[in-house]
Amino acid sequence: MTSDIRVPEDLWEGDTEGVITAWLVDDGATVAQGDLIAEMMVEKAQYEIEAPVSGRLVIAKEEDEVVAKGAVIATVET
Amino acid sequence: MQPTTEQRLWMYRHMVLSRYLEERIEELYMEGKTPVFNMAKGPIPGEMHLSNGQEPCAVGVCAHLTPDDIVTATHRPHHIAVAKGVDLDAMVAEIFGKATGLSGGRGGHMHLFDAAVNFSCSGIIGEGLGPAVGAALSRKMQGKPGVAVAFLGDGAANQGAFHESLNLAAVWRLPVVFVIEDNGWGISVPKQASTAVPRNDRRASGYDIPGMHVADNDVEGVFAMAGEAIARAREGQGPSLIEIETSRLAGHFMGDGEEYRPKGEKERLEQRDPIPRYRQQLLDIGALDETSDAELVERAQTRIEAAIRFAQQSEFLPPEAALEEVFA
Amino acid sequence: MTTTSKSTSRKLTIARAMAEAMAQEMRLDPRVFVMGEDVGPLGGVFGNTRGLFEEFGAERVRDTPISETAFIGAAVGAASDGMRPIVELMFVDFFGVCMDAIYNLMAKNTYFSGGKVKVPLVLMTSTGGGYSDAGQHSQCLYGTFAHLPGMKVVAPSNAYDAKGLMTAAIRDDNPVVFMYHKSLQGMGWLGTEKGATVPVPEESYTVEIGKAAVVREGHDVTLASLAAGVHHCLRAAKILEEGGFSAEVVDLRSLVPLDRETLRESVAKTGRLIVVDEDYHSYGVSGEIIASVAEYSGCRLKAAPQRVAYPDIPIPFAPTMEQWALPNADKVVAAFHEMMKENRGENS
Repeated sequence: MTSDIRVPEDLWEGDTEGVITAWLVDDGATVAQGDLIAEMMVEKAQYEIEAPVSGRLVIAKEEDEVVAKGAVIATVET
Repeated sequence: MQPTTEQRLWMYRHMVLSRYLEERIEELYMEGKTPVFNMAKGPIPGEMHLSNGQEPCAVGVCAHLTPDDIVTATHRPHHIAVAKGVDLDAMVAEIFGKATGLSGGRGGHMHLFDAAVNFSCSGIIGEGLGPAVGAALSRKMQGKPGVAVAFLGDGAANQGAFHESLNLAAVWRLPVVFVIEDNGWGISVPKQASTAVPRNDRRASGYDIPGMHVADNDVEGVFAMAGEAIARAREGQGPSLIEIETSRLAGHFMGDGEEYRPKGEKERLEQRDPIPRYRQQLLDIGALDETSDAELVERAQTRIEAAIRFAQQSEFLPPEAALEEVFA
Repeated sequence: MTTTSKSTSRKLTIARAMAEAMAQEMRLDPRVFVMGEDVGPLGGVFGNTRGLFEEFGAERVRDTPISETAFIGAAVGAASDGMRPIVELMFVDFFGVCMDAIYNLMAKNTYFSGGKVKVPLVLMTSTGGGYSDAGQHSQCLYGTFAHLPGMKVVAPSNAYDAKGLMTAAIRDDNPVVFMYHKSLQGMGWLGTEKGATVPVPEESYTVEIGKAAVVREGHDVTLASLAAGVHHCLRAAKILEEGGFSAEVVDLRSLVPLDRETLRESVAKTGRLIVVDEDYHSYGVSGEIIASVAEYSGCRLKAAPQRVAYPDIPIPFAPTMEQWALPNADKVVAAFHEMMKENRGENS
């Protein structure tokens, strides 16, 4: 089964787009639910993305890509 | 707050000790420096800032302190070091630059550190204040008893470090007392040419802390104000600022021509020398008589002579020891 | 703090690596505390104290007034009284308002006490430019600090070293200036260098202060640098490799003590040296590195050493001017080719 990792709608205020500044795990790595896996930036503020479920991470959006809230940035194969 | 007889005699004895030390340093310092004044020559090389006249500030404050309490002093530190209980032999040996000195001769008279009684001083104006604030913070964070006292001159009250340190101590409500020894001079520049504020204790209101003032170099006035401020600090009520009107009976440093002093000032100050004044006060109230005074003075002189002999008889470290103790 | 990761690969930014090292030491040792401007709820302007306030509270993660003279002076006093403060000077450029506490107190109290007073203090400070903040917020000043005796100076190029050096710095009984380059922090708005975000073990470890690392082996030239410069060197080494040349890259990691042995061994092998330094050209790190090699008779140089350093100018604001002045990989490659025109008789 595959779950999407989306940018949470409530991660920051407003509808501004953000950018992925760092993936903190490699593509294809095994992640555990709750792990910090990526950092995002909106203007000068930093936000954290956690793994919603455990499994194998497949990165869909690379570092420096601009993404909107709700966008799928990776999937987890459970 | 009135001192006990024991405290009175302690203060008097330490004033006498300090003064006699300074007088002996004054004599020894000039050896090898006349007729040509070469600062590096003689048994005591380097700069020399004597504290004659400022003893009330040191004893009135330190009478309330224990070895656990922290004191940071100035470039004119001897009277405070004596009152704080710094090891006299090691201190005098340090002033001579000897191996048995507090730091083996690496620091000299402006950089005296005695960790056993939490004493340190610095040659930079106003720079003892931050460390005193930090030591007070350390005690508060560790839940250990102890207060910190930072001594400074009136000139230092115009430094940024003074204002920053008062502000930080106030906002964090730290157990620290700032003691200004107002001798009226910053080297050759009089206080009124340095600040429009006639009394620096008023600057305390800028930081919402108590400001206290002691007039006329009064030993027991210092004792009373310092007692109040230190008690406040110990009780967790935060910092205080005290300014003491004191007198610099010597020049800024040894070799100072003091041409800048107004005519008659020095004579006037000498007539108000705090040591004979306090002696008379103690005689008047019966805390001292001529015989006990003579004994006290003699004991003090003997102690200082022993420290000087210790320093004179000590060796210098080998020069290459200069490379050691840079890092812990 | 971040939950313990179960990920098979876990990378950290330098900012997070610094915070993790501090958190681990704070859990072990109640004497360790952090103070500085905006280190509390904000988590540091450069992210390096993120999460500490939430875990340790306002007593041990202390926001200070904008008052460096007082709080760095206070850190010296606290360190001398048995605490182990980590204090932040937000931008190294701000040293002008507090240098006395740093070089006259922090760096000298141990010496002036004959070794009896220890000052276990970490002064962490951000360095570097490249993001148009101009000359009061973009300097490196490595040489300024490394020049003054009595304090150790480190400057990591990646998160692994940052965590290990921070842990070592906190445990050191001496003052350590921990200089972190803004472009390596992992804060996107400062122009993040990807190579600085690397796998970092969760368990505590130290990287010895005073040991350089050969981060790429080669035999034609030694590229020596620190912090962000290491990444310029690694890029240059790749370009040179495409041209058939093999460059060795030495990451100094620590300026005081300076690992001259590793440096000399490398140059003894390659016979050529290029120093890359974002600090000013004259009287600085690049000159010291070249002198350290030149003084050593074991290094037969095949060509005069070169340096790619910041020109002796205040750092300009306009991106055109600033980017032109900064070291980069192309400048390193050009310096190498210039060097190869010279032949000192390789067979001698």
